[in-house]
Amino acid sequence: MHKVIIIDDEPLARQLVRAFMQQHTDFEIVAECGDGFEGFKAIQEHAPDLIFLDVQMPKLNGFEMLELLDEKPSVIFTTAFDEYAMKAFEANAVDYLLKPIAKERFDKAVTKWQASAASQQKRGIEQLQVGNVYEGYQHRIVVKDNGLIRIIPADDIEFVEANDDYIKIVTKDGSYLKKSTLSQVEQSLNPQHFVRVHRSYIIPISQLVRIEPYEKESHIALLQCGAKIPVSKSGMTKLKTTLGW
Amino acid sequence: MALINKHLRWLLPLLAFIIWSLQAGYLFYYEGLGLNVALIDSSVNMGIISLAIWGMLLVVNAYPTRVGVTLYALLIGTFFAIAAGFTTWMILKFIFKNPVHHYLDWLSYSMPVRYFANWLICSWIATYSAIVKEAETIEKKFLKQNDLTNLHREAELYKLRQQLQPHFLYNSLNSISALTMIEPSKAQDMIGKLSDFLRRSVTRDGQERILLTEELEYIEAYLSIESVRFGDRLKIVYTKNFDSKTEIPPFILQPVMENAIKFGLYGNTGEVTISVDISQKDSMLIVNVTNPYDKDNHPSRGTGFGLEGIKRRLYLLFTRTDLLDVSKTDTEFTTTLSIPQTYA
Repeated sequence: MHKVIIIDDEPLARQLVRAFMQQHTDFEIVAECGDGFEGFKAIQEHAPDLIFLDVQMPKLNGFEMLELLDEKPSVIFTTAFDEYAMKAFEANAVDYLLKPIAKERFDKAVTKWQASAASQQKRGIEQLQVGNVYEGYQHRIVVKDNGLIRIIPADDIEFVEANDDYIKIVTKDGSYLKKSTLSQVEQSLNPQHFVRVHRSYIIPISQLVRIEPYEKESHIALLQCGAKIPVSKSGMTKLKTTLGW
Repeated sequence: MALINKHLRWLLPLLAFIIWSLQAGYLFYYEGLGLNVALIDSSVNMGIISLAIWGMLLVVNAYPTRVGVTLYALLIGTFFAIAAGFTTWMILKFIFKNPVHHYLDWLSYSMPVRYFANWLICSWIATYSAIVKEAETIEKKFLKQNDLTNLHREAELYKLRQQLQPHFLYNSLNSISALTMIEPSKAQDMIGKLSDFLRRSVTRDGQERILLTEELEYIEAYLSIESVRFGDRLKIVYTKNFDSKTEIPPFILQPVMENAIKFGLYGNTGEVTISVDISQKDSMLIVNVTNPYDKDNHPSRGTGFGLEGIKRRLYLLFTRTDLLDVSKTDTEFTTTLSIPQTYA
């Protein structure tokens, strides 16, 4: 028996998947969730083999939820938005079902998963990064903080620092670690507002108070929060273009 | 363009006649020339100057200028004034070859005054028509530009309308698909609602303004579909305070509501109440839409198209950027829409 979780904010959409699943007798639906947050909890609790996942949902959207999971189950996306399809496949989703979902297409997706599950036991979704998944830039970053999920609005970020395999996101309420790279964060944030001023630092333009020269060819940026961030030569060039000097 | 601007069409012959009679009278009474001499002199003078003006207008209208309107008119005016004066002199000298020696002396003596008068008349007319022509060229250019802007505007409005529909439609069809298996009678009901909504969207597509009451019915149709999709989590409270004949442009209020639902319903999990307050203030229709909102939970795409699109639409319709306003507290998000009613 394979365990399945359906995550969608529309009750009817969940019921449709449930109805379609009835024919596939070797599956058991262990949970239905109405938002990404519930989904996250249910996945940790049940460790499902396969999930049906909507993208746009309250609290946490589908991609954000996946990002938070350490053990990622196989995913079949179900959404009305076709613009995520490319990225979903890049993220190694089993399949991508566009709403309205046709029965035939649905069965195909399940068969596809069964085929891959037989050969692979369990096909995990690969490391997925917000920045690579969305069209457009992120207005928020999701992190896990002592088992809690925290959503940091991009406006609250004071600066981001690289820290080995992690990045440290510093806000006025404290700093958070996240397993990611600075390049990924850089890509996901709007370059009009965030500039990577140094190999290890990204700062929001709005935080900038002044820039002072420091040694030859490098500078120090003073931020509103009082932090002093090194600015490399290429970082200075980027700052200049962004600020339009 | 007509050779002579329409303001000048009656003025010029009239002016010619006045000058002609003045000149004839002057020559006859003050200079003491014979009546026939005075008449011949002034007729020749007038005939030549009229020819000169005609030629000059041809030139002004046929050849565009590169040196600037005033200088161009002045040069042409001067040239034609000299030509006209010289021709007049030659002709008069030829006509009065023998009979009146006294007249020829006087003719030579009066030539500077004649040249000067010709120059004044020619320069004035040349300048005037050149400026009129220039203005017309500019106006034409402007009108063409305006046409282009209008076309572009129409296209953009069309595109903005189109963006409103597809996902809503796909999701609704998916719900219907589910209902056909779970509750076929409800599916039929939903199909009816969706068709009603689509029919209304299609019929109002070409309209520039619709009754506010109609728009509210349309929104009602939209909401009844949403409440099937999301269960009965959605409540709308209206405060209606407006004239039943109030009209608004379509696709303004509905996207605001759509946005409020996106923020409120898709962003929260419990029951959601959206309040709509419509009132009239001076020549403005004020619509306040308030929805609950979770500060920590910006919808992933909410602010994107929704309000920007409406703002753009309002700008295209009224050329104003201050008609849409948003304010938020920790728990509520309010969109304020002002729709000018001056066109009523």
